[in-house]
Amino acid sequence: MLFNSIEFLFFLPIVVFLYYLLPQRFRWLLIFASSCYFYMAFIPKYILVLFAIILIDYTAAIWMEKLQGKQRKQLLLLSLTANIGILAFFKYFGFANQTLIDFFALFGKEFKNYDLGIILPIGLSFHTFQSMSYTIEVYRGQQKAEKHLGYFANYVLFFPQMVAGPIERYATLGEELRKEQELHFENISAGFRLLLLGFVIKMLVADQLAPFVNEVYAAPTNHSQMQITLALIFFSFQIYADFFGYSLIAQGSARLLGIHIMDNFKTPYFAASIGEFWRRWHISLSTWFRDYLYIPLGGNRVGNWRWAFNTLFVFGVSGLWHGANWTFLVWGLLHGFFLILEKPLKPFANIISTFILVTIAWVFFRASDFTSAIQILKGLFIAHSEGPKWMDLWTPLSALGLLLLLDFSYRKQRFDLLLNRLPFIGRWSVYFVLIFALLAFSGTQKFTFIYFQF
Amino acid sequence: MGKRLLIRFFLIAIGLVLMNWTYKIFFYPKDLQEHSPEILEVWKQQRKADILYFAESSNMNVRDTDVVKKSISELTDDLLPKFKIGAINKPATHAGIYKEWIKNMRSPFPKAIIVTMNLRSFGADWRHSELESVLQAGVVMLKPYPVLANRFLLALNAFDNKTPELREQEMLREWEEVKFDFPFKVPHATVRLWDNAMANGSFLLPDGAWDMEKITLACHYVKSYAFQIRPDNPRLKDFDEIVSFCQQHKIKLIFNLLAENTEYAQQYVGKELVQIMRYNRNLLVRRYGNKRGVTLVDNLELLEGLDFSDQNWTTEHYGYDGRLRIAKQLAKTLHKSN
Repeated sequence: MLFNSIEFLFFLPIVVFLYYLLPQRFRWLLIFASSCYFYMAFIPKYILVLFAIILIDYTAAIWMEKLQGKQRKQLLLLSLTANIGILAFFKYFGFANQTLIDFFALFGKEFKNYDLGIILPIGLSFHTFQSMSYTIEVYRGQQKAEKHLGYFANYVLFFPQMVAGPIERYATLGEELRKEQELHFENISAGFRLLLLGFVIKMLVADQLAPFVNEVYAAPTNHSQMQITLALIFFSFQIYADFFGYSLIAQGSARLLGIHIMDNFKTPYFAASIGEFWRRWHISLSTWFRDYLYIPLGGNRVGNWRWAFNTLFVFGVSGLWHGANWTFLVWGLLHGFFLILEKPLKPFANIISTFILVTIAWVFFRASDFTSAIQILKGLFIAHSEGPKWMDLWTPLSALGLLLLLDFSYRKQRFDLLLNRLPFIGRWSVYFVLIFALLAFSGTQKFTFIYFQF
Repeated sequence: MGKRLLIRFFLIAIGLVLMNWTYKIFFYPKDLQEHSPEILEVWKQQRKADILYFAESSNMNVRDTDVVKKSISELTDDLLPKFKIGAINKPATHAGIYKEWIKNMRSPFPKAIIVTMNLRSFGADWRHSELESVLQAGVVMLKPYPVLANRFLLALNAFDNKTPELREQEMLREWEEVKFDFPFKVPHATVRLWDNAMANGSFLLPDGAWDMEKITLACHYVKSYAFQIRPDNPRLKDFDEIVSFCQQHKIKLIFNLLAENTEYAQQYVGKELVQIMRYNRNLLVRRYGNKRGVTLVDNLELLEGLDFSDQNWTTEHYGYDGRLRIAKQLAKTLHKSN
C-alpha cells in the first residue's frame, strides 16, 4: 500500500482506532495483521520472504544467546548469509547474470541468460538490513534475544517504516513496540503534524518537481543547457523531498500509535562537507554502515591507504545496496572519492561546493544507464539543442521555494516542533494554509516513493 | 482530551468548508479546464443547442478524400432545421465517461440527448484498453463530492488507474478463460483459441506464403467482436445509469448503436462472428429498446464494407456516405419522436 493513496487514508485511522481500543496484550496482533495487510497490497506472496527472514533471525538470535565462541560466530555468519542470500537472489541475480553475459560477450563468447522473471520484493533491502542489525547486536551481546516471535515479527514488519525505513535498531523500535502506549493528545497532535508535513513535502514538492526532471532525463539531448542544469538541481531536491516526505509520514503514522521513529534527515543540503552530508542524509543507513561495516573494517583508526580503501568499499557497497546497476556503484564510489579528497581540501569545502558535488553524483543515481548519465553531464557544458520553448518553471520553482522555506526553519529545530511552539492562531493558520495547498495544488501525476524500489 | 480533540475536529471541519468555497471560486474553473475540459464543452453546448450528441471518434471525419467533412451530428443538424444539435466528442470514450458528463449537465437540461452505443466498447479489447486510466482521470473532477475533495482524489490517483501491463494481463486473461455460451454453435470456445486458429495460416498468398495483412486483420476482428455481453458487463451498468438519469429528468434519450463492418467480419472470419454481433445487438435492443423515454437506433448492419474509412482495421470511422446514412436514421427517429 502506498502512503499517498486513498486506501492508506482509510487504513491508518482504522488501525489507530482499533489499537487504542484493544487491550495491550492483543495489540501486537493488530500491528502484525495490519502490517501484513499493508505489505500484501503490493505482491501478496512476497510476505513469505519476510516470514522467512523473521524466522531465520528470530531462531538464530535465540540460539546465539545460548552459544559461545566459534559456534556463536558460525551461527551469526549463517544468519547473515541467509539474509544476504535472499537479498542477493531477488535483487542481484538478474544483474549478475547480465554482467556475465556482457563480460563473456567481450571475448566473443555467449553466457546463458537465466531470466527467472524475478520482481524485487518491495523494501527488501530495508528489511534485511534492519533484521541483520538485530542479530549482530545479539551476537555482540548488546541486545537480548527477543523470545516473543510476534514482537520480533513486528520489529521487521512494522508498517510505517517497513518499505523504506528508517532502518531502526531493536533497542529502540523493538522496545517501543513492546511498551504499553496510552492515548495521549500530544501523540495524536504530533502525529497529525508530521503526517501533514510529510504529505505536503511529498505531494506538493517532490511530485511537482518530478515531471520536469522526468522529461529532461527521458531525452537529455532534446534539452538546453539551462534545462539540464535545472533538472539536475530539481532532482537533488526531488529525491530529498520524496524520501524526507516518506520518512515524516512514517514518523507521523507511528506517532499516532505512540511509537517514536528516529529522524532520518537533518537539512542535508545545508551540509558544508560530504562527511557532514552523510551525517544528515538517510541517517539510519549511514549509521548502519558505520556500525556494522566501516568500524569493523577498522574505520579511521588505520593508515591513510587502508582508510581510503575502507571508505571506497563502504560507499561502493552502499551504492549497490541502493540498486543493482553499475550506475549506483559509480554513485556510491563518487561519494567515497569526494570524502577522501575532502580530507586535504576541507578548508575549501562549503555548502555550495558540497551541493554541487552531491548534485553531480545524483546524475548516476537517477540516470537509467551510463549513456544517459554521460549525455546529461555533457549537456551541462555543450548545448545538445535549444530545448522545448516552453517548459513550466513556475510550478517546480514554487515547490522548491516551499521546501527551502521549510528546510530553512528546520536548521534550528524540526518544523513540526517549531509549529507547536507558535500561539494557537498562528499555528492553526499555518495548518490551514498547508492543508489547503495540499488539497488544491498537489501534483496530479502520482509518483511512487523513489526509495520503495530498494 | 476528548474536548480538545472535538474542538480541533470542529475547527478542521469549518476550515474545510471555507477551503472548498475558496477553491471553488478561485481555482476550480482553471482545474476543470485542465483536467476535465469536456464538461466545459457540455455546458457551452447546452447553452447553444436543443439536443446534445455524445460520441467518440465515430462522429468525426477521418477520410482526407471526403469532400464534405461534416460530422454525423452536423449532418443530423442539417437534416433537422427545427433543432440545434451540439456535439461533445472525445476519442476512445464510452458510456462510463458519457454518464459522468451527462450527470453533470446543468439545468435546464436539453430536450434530448443522443448517446453513441459502440458495440466494441463492451468487449475486453476496449474495456481493458490502456487509454482507460487517462479517460478515468478526466472524470474525477466531476464526481459527486465537494470539489476540493475531487481535486485531492485526482492527486491521489483515486480512480481506476491500472498500469498498461496490468490491463493487458486482464484482457489476455479474459480472452483465455472466458468461454462462449451462445445458443448457437461457434467454432472455438474462447477468443484465444479462435485467434490462434485464425493466426495459423488462414490466408495464403498466391506463392503459398501466409498473407500476414489479412491474417492480422482477421485476428483483430475476432478480438474486437468475439465476446458475449453478460449481465455483469460494466458497460450495461453505465448505460443503465444514463437511462435512469434521463428518465428522472425527463430527457429524451436516443442510443445510436453504431454500424460495424459486418461485411468484412463475415469475409475475414466467417458468418459465426456476424452471428455473435447480431446476438449482442439483439440483447441491447431488448434491454433498451422498450425502456420509457429511450429509443435505440440500430445501425449495426446499415453500411457496406467500403463505407468504412479504415479498410485495414476495425473502427467505426465512416466515409461521407456512411455518416450521412447514419445521420438520416437519427434525423428520422428525432423527427418521429417530436
